[in-house]
Amino acid sequence: MTPNKLQPLNLPRPVQVCLDGTGLPLSVTGSHTVVPPHRSAHDRNGGKEASEHRPRPVVSIIEVWRVDDEWWRQPISRRYLEVVLEGGRHVVLYEDLNTGDWFMQRI
Amino acid sequence: MTGAAKQLPRWERGAGTADRTLRSELAVCLWFPQFALHCELQRHSDLAVRPTAVLAAEDSRRLWQVSPSARRAGVKPGMTVSQAIGLCPCLSLLEADPVHYDEQFSNLLLVLSDVSPVIEPAELGRVYIGVDGLEPLHGSPEQQVAMIQQTVATWQQMEIGQGEISTPVVHLGWGRGKFTAWVAATRARPDEAVIISEAKRVEFTASQPIAVLRIDPDMHRRLWQLGIKRLSDLARLPEIAVTSQFGTMGRRLWSLAAGKVVDPVVGREIPEPIVAAIDFPNPVADRGMLAHALDRLIARALRHPQRTGWRIFGVQASARQENGASWMVAVTLRDPTADRYHIAEPLKVRLTQTPPTRAVETLAVEFTRFVRGTDELQLFARDANSSARAGRQRALRTAIREIRARYIHSGLYQIVEVQPHSRLLERRYALIEYDP
Repeated sequence: MTPNKLQPLNLPRPVQVCLDGTGLPLSVTGSHTVVPPHRSAHDRNGGKEASEHRPRPVVSIIEVWRVDDEWWRQPISRRYLEVVLEGGRHVVLYEDLNTGDWFMQRI
Repeated sequence: MTGAAKQLPRWERGAGTADRTLRSELAVCLWFPQFALHCELQRHSDLAVRPTAVLAAEDSRRLWQVSPSARRAGVKPGMTVSQAIGLCPCLSLLEADPVHYDEQFSNLLLVLSDVSPVIEPAELGRVYIGVDGLEPLHGSPEQQVAMIQQTVATWQQMEIGQGEISTPVVHLGWGRGKFTAWVAATRARPDEAVIISEAKRVEFTASQPIAVLRIDPDMHRRLWQLGIKRLSDLARLPEIAVTSQFGTMGRRLWSLAAGKVVDPVVGREIPEPIVAAIDFPNPVADRGMLAHALDRLIARALRHPQRTGWRIFGVQASARQENGASWMVAVTLRDPTADRYHIAEPLKVRLTQTPPTRAVETLAVEFTRFVRGTDELQLFARDANSSARAGRQRALRTAIREIRARYIHSGLYQIVEVQPHSRLLERRYALIEYDP
Protein backbone atom coordinates (compact mmCIF):
# COMPACT_ATOMS: atom_id res chain seq x y z
CA MET A 1 0.00 0.00 0.00
CA THR A 2 1.36 3.37 -0.92
CA PRO A 3 0.27 6.44 1.01
CA ASN A 4 1.25 8.73 -1.85
CA LYS A 5 -2.03 7.49 -3.32
CA LEU A 6 -3.84 8.46 -0.12
CA GLN A 7 -7.41 9.53 -0.88
CA PRO A 8 -9.20 11.39 1.90
CA LEU A 9 -12.56 9.97 2.86
CA ASN A 10 -15.67 11.94 3.75
CA LEU A 11 -14.70 15.07 1.85
CA PRO A 12 -17.18 17.93 2.41
CA ARG A 13 -19.68 18.45 -0.41
CA PRO A 14 -21.07 21.91 -1.16
CA VAL A 15 -24.77 22.37 -0.44
CA GLN A 16 -27.28 25.21 -0.40
CA VAL A 17 -28.81 25.85 3.01
CA CYS A 18 -31.92 27.87 3.72
CA LEU A 19 -31.62 29.57 7.14
CA ASP A 20 -34.15 30.91 9.59
CA GLY A 21 -33.88 34.26 11.29
CA THR A 22 -31.52 32.95 13.97
CA GLY A 23 -29.09 31.46 11.44
CA LEU A 24 -30.15 27.84 11.92
CA PRO A 25 -30.82 25.66 8.85
CA LEU A 26 -34.37 25.03 7.71
CA SER A 27 -33.60 22.97 4.61
CA VAL A 28 -30.69 21.64 2.59
CA THR A 29 -30.39 21.49 -1.18
CA GLY A 30 -27.63 19.74 -3.12
CA SER A 31 -26.26 16.43 -4.33
CA HIS A 32 -26.41 13.95 -1.51
CA THR A 33 -24.28 11.29 -3.09
CA VAL A 34 -20.76 11.16 -4.43
CA VAL A 35 -20.79 10.52 -8.14
CA PRO A 36 -17.94 9.01 -10.20
CA PRO A 37 -16.76 11.66 -12.65
CA HIS A 38 -17.27 9.48 -15.74
CA ARG A 39 -21.03 9.22 -15.11
CA SER A 40 -23.56 11.97 -15.53
CA ALA A 41 -25.50 13.16 -12.53
CA HIS A 42 -28.64 11.68 -14.07
CA ASP A 43 -26.97 8.24 -14.48
CA ARG A 44 -25.51 8.35 -11.07
CA ASN A 45 -28.75 9.04 -9.36
CA GLY A 46 -30.66 6.61 -11.50
CA GLY A 47 -32.87 9.40 -12.79
CA LYS A 48 -33.35 10.95 -9.36
CA GLU A 49 -31.49 14.15 -10.21
CA ALA A 50 -34.52 16.32 -9.67
CA SER A 51 -35.29 14.80 -6.29
CA GLU A 52 -31.64 15.29 -5.13
CA HIS A 53 -31.92 18.98 -5.89
CA ARG A 54 -35.17 19.67 -4.13
CA PRO A 55 -34.83 21.15 -0.64
CA ARG A 56 -34.67 18.59 2.15
CA PRO A 57 -36.21 19.96 5.35
CA VAL A 58 -34.14 19.79 8.52
CA VAL A 59 -36.18 17.87 11.08
CA SER A 60 -34.01 18.50 14.11
CA ILE A 61 -30.71 19.99 15.16
CA ILE A 62 -28.81 17.74 17.53
CA GLU A 63 -25.68 19.73 18.25
CA VAL A 64 -23.91 22.93 17.25
CA TRP A 65 -20.18 23.61 17.66
CA ARG A 66 -17.44 25.73 16.22
CA VAL A 67 -13.91 24.93 15.06
CA ASP A 68 -11.20 27.57 14.70
CA ASP A 69 -7.88 26.06 13.75
CA GLU A 70 -4.66 26.38 11.79
CA TRP A 71 -4.54 30.14 12.21
CA TRP A 72 -0.81 29.88 11.55
CA ARG A 73 -1.23 28.83 7.90
CA GLN A 74 -4.62 28.72 6.14
CA PRO A 75 -7.07 29.67 8.89
CA ILE A 76 -10.00 27.30 9.32
CA SER A 77 -13.13 28.70 10.87
CA ARG A 78 -16.28 26.59 10.74
CA ARG A 79 -19.66 26.44 12.42
CA TYR A 80 -20.81 22.83 12.56
CA LEU A 81 -24.35 21.51 13.00
CA GLU A 82 -25.26 17.89 13.46
CA VAL A 83 -28.76 17.56 11.98
CA VAL A 84 -31.40 15.02 11.05
CA LEU A 85 -32.96 15.52 7.60
CA GLU A 86 -36.43 14.53 6.55
CA GLY A 87 -36.42 10.77 6.02
CA GLY A 88 -34.15 10.25 9.02
CA ARG A 89 -30.78 10.88 7.41
CA HIS A 90 -28.18 11.95 9.96
CA VAL A 91 -25.54 14.38 8.61
CA VAL A 92 -23.17 17.14 9.62
CA LEU A 93 -23.49 20.56 8.00
CA TYR A 94 -20.92 23.28 8.38
CA GLU A 95 -20.63 26.88 7.36
CA ASP A 96 -17.20 28.07 6.29
CA LEU A 97 -17.08 31.35 8.22
CA ASN A 98 -14.33 32.70 5.95
CA THR A 99 -16.35 32.36 2.74
CA GLY A 100 -19.96 31.88 3.91
CA ASP A 101 -20.28 28.62 1.92
CA TRP A 102 -22.11 25.59 3.33
CA PHE A 103 -20.94 21.97 3.16
CA MET A 104 -22.28 18.59 4.15
CA GLN A 105 -20.45 15.52 5.52
CA ARG A 106 -21.33 12.11 6.85
CA ILE A 107 -20.88 11.57 10.54
CA MET B 1 -13.43 -41.66 1.32
CA THR B 2 -14.14 -44.69 3.39
CA GLY B 3 -11.97 -47.30 4.92
CA ALA B 4 -9.93 -47.85 8.02
CA ALA B 5 -7.04 -45.51 8.69
CA LYS B 6 -3.73 -47.29 8.87
CA GLN B 7 -0.66 -45.98 10.58
CA LEU B 8 2.57 -47.47 9.38
CA PRO B 9 5.25 -48.56 11.85
CA ARG B 10 7.44 -45.48 11.31
CA TRP B 11 4.58 -43.34 12.57
CA GLU B 12 4.45 -45.34 15.77
CA ARG B 13 8.23 -45.39 16.08
CA GLY B 14 8.32 -41.61 15.82
CA ALA B 15 5.87 -41.08 18.68
CA GLY B 16 7.39 -39.89 21.93
CA THR B 17 10.66 -38.74 20.40
CA ALA B 18 9.82 -35.05 20.34
CA ASP B 19 11.92 -34.19 23.41
CA ARG B 20 15.22 -35.49 22.13
CA THR B 21 17.59 -32.55 22.32
CA LEU B 22 21.11 -31.61 21.30
CA ARG B 23 23.15 -29.18 23.38
CA SER B 24 26.16 -26.99 22.76
CA GLU B 25 27.79 -24.52 25.17
CA LEU B 26 29.77 -22.70 22.50
CA ALA B 27 27.34 -20.58 20.57
CA VAL B 28 27.16 -18.27 17.61
CA CYS B 29 24.32 -15.75 17.61
CA LEU B 30 23.16 -14.71 14.16
CA TRP B 31 21.00 -11.61 14.31
CA PHE B 32 19.05 -9.81 11.58
CA PRO B 33 17.63 -6.75 13.33
CA GLN B 34 15.02 -5.96 10.63
CA PHE B 35 14.16 -9.38 9.26
CA ALA B 36 10.49 -8.67 8.45
CA LEU B 37 11.33 -5.42 6.70
CA HIS B 38 14.02 -7.20 4.71
CA CYS B 39 11.50 -9.85 3.61
CA GLU B 40 9.12 -7.12 2.46
CA LEU B 41 11.81 -5.22 0.56
CA GLN B 42 12.65 -8.42 -1.26
CA ARG B 43 9.05 -8.69 -2.42
CA HIS B 44 8.67 -4.97 -3.18
CA SER B 45 12.05 -4.01 -4.61
CA ASP B 46 10.67 -0.61 -5.72
CA LEU B 47 10.34 0.33 -2.04
CA ALA B 48 14.03 -0.17 -1.26
CA VAL B 49 14.85 3.49 -1.91
CA ARG B 50 11.71 4.90 -0.29
CA PRO B 51 10.86 5.41 3.40
CA THR B 52 9.05 2.23 4.35
CA ALA B 53 7.52 0.71 7.50
CA VAL B 54 5.92 -2.62 8.35
CA LEU B 55 2.81 -2.47 10.52
CA ALA B 56 2.57 -4.55 13.69
CA ALA B 57 0.80 -7.88 13.22
CA GLU B 58 -1.21 -7.59 16.43
CA ASP B 59 -2.08 -3.88 16.04
CA SER B 60 -2.15 -2.64 12.47
CA ARG B 61 -2.41 0.98 13.63
CA ARG B 62 1.16 0.91 14.92
CA LEU B 63 4.51 0.58 13.17
CA TRP B 64 6.70 -2.43 13.86
CA GLN B 65 9.84 -2.13 11.73
CA VAL B 66 11.04 1.03 10.04
CA SER B 67 13.55 1.52 7.21
CA PRO B 68 16.63 3.74 7.74
CA SER B 69 15.30 6.45 5.39
CA ALA B 70 12.04 6.58 7.39
CA ARG B 71 14.04 6.81 10.63
CA ARG B 72 15.88 9.79 9.23
CA ALA B 73 12.49 11.47 8.77
CA GLY B 74 11.78 10.92 12.48
CA VAL B 75 9.58 7.81 12.13
CA LYS B 76 10.13 5.25 14.89
CA PRO B 77 8.82 1.75 15.67
CA GLY B 78 5.74 1.84 17.92
CA MET B 79 4.41 5.10 16.44
CA THR B 80 0.84 5.22 15.20
CA VAL B 81 0.22 5.42 11.46
CA SER B 82 -1.15 8.96 11.81
CA GLN B 83 1.95 10.16 13.70
CA ALA B 84 4.23 8.54 11.14
CA ILE B 85 2.41 9.99 8.13
CA GLY B 86 2.44 13.37 9.81
CA LEU B 87 6.23 13.18 10.00
CA CYS B 88 6.80 11.53 6.64
CA PRO B 89 3.91 11.94 4.16
CA CYS B 90 5.58 9.74 1.51
CA LEU B 91 6.01 6.82 3.94
CA SER B 92 5.10 3.45 2.41
CA LEU B 93 3.21 1.19 4.79
CA LEU B 94 3.09 -2.58 4.53
CA GLU B 95 0.85 -4.93 6.44
CA ALA B 96 2.74 -7.64 8.34
CA ASP B 97 2.77 -11.11 6.80
CA PRO B 98 4.15 -13.33 9.61
CA VAL B 99 3.62 -16.58 7.74
CA HIS B 100 5.82 -15.37 4.87
CA TYR B 101 8.51 -14.17 7.29
CA ASP B 102 8.45 -17.54 9.05
CA GLU B 103 8.86 -19.35 5.73
CA GLN B 104 11.84 -17.19 4.84
CA PHE B 105 13.34 -17.72 8.27
CA SER B 106 12.87 -21.48 7.95
CA ASN B 107 14.85 -21.33 4.71
CA LEU B 108 17.68 -19.68 6.59
CA LEU B 109 17.53 -22.34 9.33
CA LEU B 110 17.68 -24.98 6.62
CA VAL B 111 20.94 -23.69 5.16
CA LEU B 112 22.40 -23.21 8.65
CA SER B 113 21.74 -26.86 9.44
CA ASP B 114 24.54 -27.59 6.95
CA VAL B 115 26.95 -25.84 9.33
CA SER B 116 25.81 -27.42 12.61
CA PRO B 117 23.10 -29.85 13.72
CA VAL B 118 22.44 -27.75 16.83
CA ILE B 119 20.22 -24.86 15.78
CA GLU B 120 17.98 -22.93 18.15
CA PRO B 121 15.76 -20.21 16.69
CA ALA B 122 15.10 -17.62 19.40
CA GLU B 123 12.78 -15.24 17.57
CA LEU B 124 12.23 -14.03 14.05
CA GLY B 125 15.64 -12.91 12.77
CA ARG B 126 17.67 -14.29 15.71
CA VAL B 127 19.08 -17.78 15.81
CA TYR B 128 21.74 -19.54 17.87
CA ILE B 129 24.07 -22.05 16.28
CA GLY B 130 25.82 -24.55 18.54
CA VAL B 131 29.48 -24.98 17.56
CA ASP B 132 30.77 -27.45 20.19
CA GLY B 133 33.12 -29.91 18.53
CA LEU B 134 33.13 -28.19 15.16
CA GLU B 135 36.80 -27.14 15.29
CA PRO B 136 38.05 -30.24 13.44
CA LEU B 137 35.44 -29.62 10.75
CA HIS B 138 35.39 -25.83 10.33
CA GLY B 139 38.53 -24.68 12.21
CA SER B 140 39.02 -21.84 14.71
CA PRO B 141 36.19 -19.61 15.93
CA GLU B 142 37.14 -17.06 13.25
CA GLN B 143 36.86 -19.75 10.60
CA GLN B 144 33.56 -20.99 12.05
CA VAL B 145 32.16 -17.48 11.88
CA ALA B 146 33.48 -17.08 8.33
CA MET B 147 31.76 -20.35 7.41
CA ILE B 148 28.45 -19.06 8.81
CA GLN B 149 28.88 -15.74 7.00
CA GLN B 150 29.50 -17.62 3.78
CA THR B 151 26.41 -19.76 4.36
CA VAL B 152 24.29 -16.70 5.03
CA ALA B 153 25.68 -15.05 1.88
CA THR B 154 24.66 -18.14 -0.11
CA TRP B 155 21.18 -17.92 1.40
CA GLN B 156 20.98 -14.24 0.55
CA GLN B 157 21.95 -14.95 -3.05
CA MET B 158 19.28 -17.64 -3.24
CA GLU B 159 16.67 -15.39 -1.68
CA ILE B 160 17.58 -12.06 -3.22
CA GLY B 161 18.77 -13.24 -6.61
CA GLN B 162 20.62 -11.24 -9.18
CA GLY B 163 20.29 -7.50 -9.59
CA GLU B 164 18.31 -6.77 -6.42
CA ILE B 165 19.50 -4.15 -4.00
CA SER B 166 18.02 -5.23 -0.67
CA THR B 167 20.77 -6.91 1.33
CA PRO B 168 19.97 -7.50 4.98
CA VAL B 169 22.35 -6.43 7.68
CA VAL B 170 23.64 -9.34 9.76
CA HIS B 171 25.36 -9.23 13.14
CA LEU B 172 27.31 -12.20 14.48
CA GLY B 173 28.57 -12.96 17.97
CA TRP B 174 30.63 -15.96 19.13
CA GLY B 175 31.01 -16.92 22.79
CA ARG B 176 30.39 -19.49 25.49
CA GLY B 177 26.67 -19.55 26.21
CA LYS B 178 23.81 -17.94 24.37
CA PHE B 179 23.89 -14.80 26.49
CA THR B 180 27.52 -14.03 25.70
CA ALA B 181 26.96 -14.76 22.00
CA TRP B 182 23.88 -12.51 21.93
CA VAL B 183 25.63 -9.61 23.67
CA ALA B 184 28.59 -10.04 21.31
CA ALA B 185 26.21 -9.91 18.33
CA THR B 186 24.66 -6.68 19.60
CA ARG B 187 28.16 -5.20 19.80
CA ALA B 188 29.15 -6.35 16.30
CA ARG B 189 29.17 -3.89 13.44
CA PRO B 190 26.89 -4.70 10.51
CA ASP B 191 28.10 -7.75 8.58
CA GLU B 192 30.92 -8.28 11.08
CA ALA B 193 31.43 -10.61 14.02
CA VAL B 194 32.60 -10.18 17.61
CA ILE B 195 34.35 -13.22 19.10
CA ILE B 196 34.61 -13.44 22.88
CA SER B 197 37.13 -15.96 24.15
CA GLU B 198 36.46 -17.81 27.41
CA ALA B 199 39.26 -15.85 29.14
CA LYS B 200 37.51 -12.54 28.40
CA ARG B 201 33.92 -13.68 28.82
CA VAL B 202 33.22 -12.51 32.36
CA GLU B 203 35.05 -9.22 31.85
CA PHE B 204 33.19 -8.60 28.59
CA THR B 205 29.71 -9.24 29.98
CA ALA B 206 30.43 -7.21 33.14
CA SER B 207 31.30 -4.15 31.05
CA GLN B 208 27.96 -4.14 29.23
CA PRO B 209 25.06 -1.77 30.01
CA ILE B 210 21.97 -3.33 31.57
CA ALA B 211 20.12 -2.55 28.32
CA VAL B 212 21.52 -5.83 26.94
CA LEU B 213 19.25 -7.73 29.35
CA ARG B 214 15.89 -8.60 27.83
CA ILE B 215 13.71 -7.36 30.66
CA ASP B 216 10.49 -5.43 30.88
CA PRO B 217 10.71 -1.61 30.97
CA ASP B 218 9.49 -1.49 34.58
CA MET B 219 12.32 -3.68 35.85
CA HIS B 220 14.77 -1.74 33.73
CA ARG B 221 13.58 1.51 35.31
CA ARG B 222 13.87 0.07 38.83
CA LEU B 223 17.44 -1.09 38.18
CA TRP B 224 18.28 2.32 36.80
CA GLN B 225 16.77 4.06 39.85
CA LEU B 226 18.92 1.83 42.08
CA GLY B 227 22.00 3.13 40.25
CA ILE B 228 22.62 -0.16 38.43
CA LYS B 229 23.74 0.90 34.99
CA ARG B 230 26.14 -1.89 34.02
CA LEU B 231 26.13 -5.64 34.52
CA SER B 232 29.20 -5.26 36.77
CA ASP B 233 27.05 -3.10 39.12
CA LEU B 234 24.49 -5.90 39.26
CA ALA B 235 27.10 -8.64 39.74
CA ARG B 236 28.66 -6.73 42.64
CA LEU B 237 25.43 -6.94 44.67
CA PRO B 238 24.82 -9.99 46.89
CA GLU B 239 22.83 -12.61 45.02
CA ILE B 240 20.31 -12.88 47.84
CA ALA B 241 19.62 -9.13 47.79
CA VAL B 242 18.90 -9.19 44.04
CA THR B 243 16.70 -12.26 44.47
CA SER B 244 14.71 -10.66 47.28
CA GLN B 245 14.09 -7.55 45.14
CA PHE B 246 13.40 -9.13 41.78
CA GLY B 247 12.54 -12.77 42.53
CA THR B 248 13.53 -15.67 40.28
CA MET B 249 14.09 -13.37 37.33
CA GLY B 250 16.49 -11.30 39.46
CA ARG B 251 18.48 -14.40 40.39
CA ARG B 252 18.76 -15.41 36.76
CA LEU B 253 19.89 -11.93 35.71
CA TRP B 254 22.44 -11.84 38.51
CA SER B 255 23.82 -15.22 37.40
CA LEU B 256 24.13 -14.01 33.79
CA ALA B 257 25.74 -10.72 34.85
CA ALA B 258 28.25 -12.52 37.10
CA GLY B 259 29.02 -15.11 34.45
CA LYS B 260 27.95 -17.91 36.80
CA VAL B 261 25.75 -19.67 34.30
CA VAL B 262 26.28 -20.66 30.73
CA ASP B 263 23.05 -21.17 28.84
CA PRO B 264 23.62 -23.76 26.13
CA VAL B 265 22.17 -23.78 22.66
CA VAL B 266 19.46 -26.42 22.65
CA GLY B 267 18.74 -27.97 19.29
CA ARG B 268 16.23 -30.67 18.54
CA GLU B 269 16.87 -33.85 16.71
CA ILE B 270 15.15 -33.88 13.35
CA PRO B 271 12.00 -36.01 13.64
CA GLU B 272 11.66 -39.42 12.08
CA PRO B 273 9.60 -39.31 8.91
CA ILE B 274 5.88 -38.93 9.63
CA VAL B 275 3.60 -41.24 7.70
CA ALA B 276 -0.17 -41.25 7.33
CA ALA B 277 -1.82 -43.96 5.23
CA ILE B 278 -5.22 -45.29 4.32
CA ASP B 279 -6.52 -48.63 2.99
CA PHE B 280 -9.41 -48.36 0.58
CA PRO B 281 -11.97 -51.18 1.00
CA ASN B 282 -12.49 -51.04 -2.77
CA PRO B 283 -9.57 -50.05 -5.01
CA VAL B 284 -9.86 -46.43 -6.20
CA ALA B 285 -8.93 -45.29 -9.69
CA ASP B 286 -10.67 -41.90 -9.66
CA ARG B 287 -8.04 -39.13 -9.52
CA GLY B 288 -10.36 -36.67 -7.83
CA MET B 289 -10.92 -39.13 -5.01
CA LEU B 290 -7.19 -39.81 -4.71
CA ALA B 291 -6.50 -36.06 -4.58
CA HIS B 292 -9.11 -35.71 -1.84
CA ALA B 293 -7.51 -38.58 0.07
CA LEU B 294 -4.11 -36.85 -0.23
CA ASP B 295 -5.62 -33.73 1.36
CA ARG B 296 -6.98 -35.72 4.28
CA LEU B 297 -3.74 -37.63 4.83
CA ILE B 298 -1.66 -34.43 4.77
CA ALA B 299 -4.00 -32.84 7.31
CA ARG B 300 -3.67 -35.89 9.55
CA ALA B 301 0.13 -35.98 9.28
CA LEU B 302 0.31 -32.25 10.08
CA ARG B 303 -1.62 -32.89 13.31
CA HIS B 304 0.97 -35.41 14.50
CA PRO B 305 2.50 -34.19 17.79
CA GLN B 306 5.98 -34.94 16.51
CA ARG B 307 5.47 -32.33 13.78
CA THR B 308 4.91 -29.44 16.24
CA GLY B 309 7.64 -26.85 15.84
CA TRP B 310 8.76 -28.20 12.49
CA ARG B 311 8.03 -27.19 8.93
CA ILE B 312 7.98 -29.60 6.04
CA PHE B 313 10.08 -29.30 2.93
CA GLY B 314 10.25 -32.86 1.67
CA VAL B 315 7.14 -34.97 1.11
CA GLN B 316 6.28 -38.08 -0.82
CA ALA B 317 3.11 -39.94 -1.73
CA SER B 318 3.08 -43.65 -2.39
CA ALA B 319 0.45 -46.22 -3.29
CA ARG B 320 0.04 -49.97 -3.52
CA GLN B 321 -1.97 -50.84 -6.62
CA GLU B 322 -4.37 -53.71 -7.11
CA ASN B 323 -1.94 -55.69 -9.28
CA GLY B 324 0.65 -55.55 -6.52
CA ALA B 325 2.71 -52.85 -8.24
CA SER B 326 3.69 -49.71 -6.39
CA TRP B 327 3.55 -46.01 -7.26
CA MET B 328 5.50 -43.17 -5.68
CA VAL B 329 6.15 -39.46 -6.23
CA ALA B 330 8.51 -37.34 -4.13
CA VAL B 331 8.53 -33.56 -3.96
CA THR B 332 10.90 -31.01 -2.45
CA LEU B 333 8.91 -27.91 -1.56
CA ARG B 334 10.14 -24.51 -2.65
CA ASP B 335 9.71 -23.07 0.86
CA PRO B 336 9.43 -25.06 4.07
CA THR B 337 5.81 -24.88 5.17
CA ALA B 338 3.19 -26.21 7.55
CA ASP B 339 0.38 -25.16 5.21
CA ARG B 340 -1.77 -28.03 3.96
CA TYR B 341 -2.46 -26.34 0.64
CA HIS B 342 1.22 -25.69 -0.11
CA ILE B 343 2.11 -29.30 0.62
CA ALA B 344 -0.79 -30.80 -1.31
CA GLU B 345 -0.55 -28.79 -4.52
CA PRO B 346 2.77 -30.16 -5.89
CA LEU B 347 1.69 -33.71 -5.00
CA LYS B 348 -1.57 -33.24 -6.89
CA VAL B 349 0.31 -31.89 -9.91
CA ARG B 350 2.50 -34.99 -9.88
CA LEU B 351 -0.59 -37.16 -9.45
CA THR B 352 -2.00 -35.63 -12.63
CA GLN B 353 1.28 -35.88 -14.56
CA THR B 354 2.21 -39.43 -13.56
CA PRO B 355 -0.88 -41.10 -12.13
CA PRO B 356 -0.96 -44.67 -10.81
CA THR B 357 -1.46 -47.13 -13.66
CA ARG B 358 -4.05 -49.22 -11.78
CA ALA B 359 -6.61 -48.73 -9.06
CA VAL B 360 -5.10 -47.93 -5.66
CA GLU B 361 -5.58 -50.18 -2.63
CA THR B 362 -3.42 -48.26 -0.12
CA LEU B 363 -2.37 -44.61 -0.27
CA ALA B 364 0.27 -43.06 2.03
CA VAL B 365 1.75 -39.61 2.55
CA GLU B 366 5.15 -39.31 4.20
CA PHE B 367 6.85 -36.14 5.43
CA THR B 368 10.49 -36.87 4.84
CA ARG B 369 12.40 -33.65 5.49
CA PHE B 370 11.87 -31.05 8.20
CA VAL B 371 13.08 -27.58 9.16
CA ARG B 372 12.63 -25.87 12.51
CA GLY B 373 10.09 -23.04 12.59
CA THR B 374 10.33 -20.23 15.12
CA ASP B 375 8.42 -20.93 18.32
CA GLU B 376 7.01 -17.41 18.18
CA LEU B 377 5.44 -18.00 14.79
CA GLN B 378 4.37 -21.52 15.54
CA LEU B 379 2.18 -19.85 18.13
CA PHE B 380 0.93 -17.60 15.38
CA ALA B 381 0.20 -20.58 13.17
CA ARG B 382 -1.75 -22.24 15.97
CA ASP B 383 -3.93 -19.20 16.35
CA ALA B 384 -7.00 -19.91 14.27
CA ASN B 385 -7.87 -16.28 13.59
CA SER B 386 -4.40 -15.45 12.43
CA SER B 387 -4.29 -18.48 10.18
CA ALA B 388 -7.66 -17.56 8.73
CA ARG B 389 -6.42 -14.02 8.17
CA ALA B 390 -3.30 -15.30 6.44
CA GLY B 391 -5.47 -17.53 4.26
CA ARG B 392 -7.73 -14.61 3.34
CA GLN B 393 -4.71 -12.50 2.47
CA ARG B 394 -3.38 -15.24 0.23
CA ALA B 395 -6.73 -15.46 -1.56
CA LEU B 396 -6.86 -11.66 -1.90
CA ARG B 397 -3.33 -11.59 -3.29
CA THR B 398 -4.26 -14.11 -5.95
CA ALA B 399 -7.42 -12.18 -6.84
CA ILE B 400 -5.49 -8.90 -7.04
CA ARG B 401 -2.87 -10.46 -9.32
CA GLU B 402 -5.60 -11.63 -11.66
CA ILE B 403 -7.39 -8.27 -11.68
CA ARG B 404 -4.12 -6.42 -12.30
CA ALA B 405 -3.20 -8.73 -15.14
CA ARG B 406 -6.41 -7.67 -16.81
CA TYR B 407 -6.97 -4.05 -15.78
CA ILE B 408 -3.48 -2.90 -14.62
CA HIS B 409 -4.98 -1.38 -11.45
CA SER B 410 -6.70 -3.61 -8.94
CA GLY B 411 -9.15 -0.91 -7.85
CA LEU B 412 -9.04 -2.35 -4.33
CA TYR B 413 -8.58 0.04 -1.47
CA GLN B 414 -8.25 -0.14 2.27
CA ILE B 415 -9.45 2.36 4.85
CA VAL B 416 -6.74 3.60 7.22
CA GLU B 417 -6.90 5.91 10.16
CA VAL B 418 -4.93 9.06 9.46
CA GLN B 419 -5.93 11.46 12.24
CA PRO B 420 -8.77 9.57 13.94
CA HIS B 421 -9.31 12.29 16.55
CA SER B 422 -9.13 15.29 14.22
CA ARG B 423 -11.90 17.85 14.64
CA LEU B 424 -12.06 18.06 10.83
CA LEU B 425 -13.99 14.98 9.73
CA GLU B 426 -12.32 14.71 6.30
CA ARG B 427 -8.93 14.23 7.94
CA ARG B 428 -9.82 11.23 10.05
CA TYR B 429 -9.74 8.42 7.50
CA ALA B 430 -8.36 7.85 4.03
CA LEU B 431 -8.30 5.24 1.32
CA ILE B 432 -5.06 3.73 0.17
CA GLU B 433 -4.51 1.19 -2.53
CA TYR B 434 -4.62 -2.30 -1.11
CA ASP B 435 -1.38 -4.02 -2.01
CA PRO B 436 -0.73 -6.99 0.27
